[in-house]
Amino acid sequence: MHFARSWRQQSSNLRLVGSRCTSCGAILFPERIRCSGCGSTELEDHRLSGRGTIFTVTTVFEAPRGFESQVPYFAALVELEEGPIICAMLTDVDREDVSVGKKVTMVTRRILAHGDDGPIIYAYKFTPELAG
Amino acid sequence: MGDRIEIVGIGRTCAKERWTRGLVDLTVEAAGAALDDGGDVSPSAVIVSNALGGALGDQQNLGTFTASSIGLGKVEAHSVSCDEASGGGALRLASALVGAGMHEAVLVVGAEKTSDALPDELETVRANGLDATREAGFGFGPAVASGLGMQRYGAEHGIDRSLFYHLASTAHLHGAKNPFAFLPWELSFDQYIRSPIVADPLTVCDLAPNCDGGAAVLIRKGSGKSSSSVHILGSASVSVPTGISEPITSLSLPAAAQCAMLALRDAGLSIEDLSLLDLHDSSSFIAALSIEAVGLAKRGEALLLARDGHFRFDGPAPLWTFGGLKARGNAPGADGLYQVVEATLQLRGDAGKGQIDGADRALVQCLGSFGATAVTHVLG
Ligand SMILES: [Zn+2]
Repeated sequence: MHFARSWRQQSSNLRLVGSRCTSCGAILFPERIRCSGCGSTELEDHRLSGRGTIFTVTTVFEAPRGFESQVPYFAALVELEEGPIICAMLTDVDREDVSVGKKVTMVTRRILAHGDDGPIIYAYKFTPELAG
Repeated sequence: MGDRIEIVGIGRTCAKERWTRGLVDLTVEAAGAALDDGGDVSPSAVIVSNALGGALGDQQNLGTFTASSIGLGKVEAHSVSCDEASGGGALRLASALVGAGMHEAVLVVGAEKTSDALPDELETVRANGLDATREAGFGFGPAVASGLGMQRYGAEHGIDRSLFYHLASTAHLHGAKNPFAFLPWELSFDQYIRSPIVADPLTVCDLAPNCDGGAAVLIRKGSGKSSSSVHILGSASVSVPTGISEPITSLSLPAAAQCAMLALRDAGLSIEDLSLLDLHDSSSFIAALSIEAVGLAKRGEALLLARDGHFRFDGPAPLWTFGGLKARGNAPGADGLYQVVEATLQLRGDAGKGQIDGADRALVQCLGSFGATAVTHVLG
């Protein structure tokens, strides 16, 4: 992920900002400039709650470039409570605490590092919600 | 149906790691073979399909560079890129050029050079065939996506991961008969089950191996007379909204299903009329969903039919008769054209040890971006 690209995505990456279509009411993530549901351009920023559930999850042992240092990592589809399903890693969790249907919440973590002196990209990961 | 397109020449390279061949060499080798096979048919246009070359720092504008390197002189030339569906997409656009009367004959060439790249670089570039920012950018590549899919497929259909063996073993059984295959050997259950995990439960043996390769098809407007030559009886291409979550949540490939249905309708055939098929098996998960999408199996039953030998060369619906991506090898930009070349060999009766007796109708389908792009051709 290039530096300028991650700068462009900072509101979605760091605050989970998506879009709400004022025409059809669709909640979209990430932000759009045109509603993928109805085609309207009447969209407003809509910050998602960051709460969701694990829809499915896998443990990754061979990673693409830039992610090697995190292996093994948990890659999940997280169904946000507003509806969208997003791809995200799980963090701060043990294997036995990872299961489908588990409630999770967004945290900000380092996603990708470009070598020892390259830019470090921060974005969302998810961690189990504390009980109670 | 209109005038059908005739396949007058085919060519392919070995699908291996070809250290002495660069990307343009692969297009030239495959294209040259197709031109030789086509006799005196001379194309006035060239379309080259490639998925990764530009991103891997290789030659761009491959259409023009390929035409130049084959020595075609003044021709129309383009490049087509739609991930692992590139080859099918190129053939469909070439057919449109012929069908519209813009050219008498068009040469379609697909190639990929994967072995120059380091494995992690290659996987990074391949991952950008998915959503580059929201999937690839978060550590989700094709293997991770298929691992998630397998996880869910097994849970939803109550299927043990060991059953996925039967897809890979079918492909390898056939690939063992193909001298051009990258992995021309049969796959034992023991090898499969001991294979290292990439993204649980998906293992190395659930993924088609990346390889170098080129495949080419020379087409022209059909004469309309019935002859022994192979024609494109029907074709279709469908793209649907992108995202790995749709195939994983729905356990279906809507683009593949719609595309196969449209191509069969275009050909005036049904799936029972086919002598053989080739579907996209970039991973065990995509292979299972493809089988179910085109109607060869009901939901959740692809692996059971594979186990029962349904898709073997001697079964009722022979599949991947040259090994598919799993055994022949995955050269992404050439995948769709390897399928067409191999099906044409079957229909000509030139498939060697893997020949299906009496083959007269074939369906081939390639997919890109985790099933968001589908291209299908029906040949006969
Ligand atoms: Zn809308």
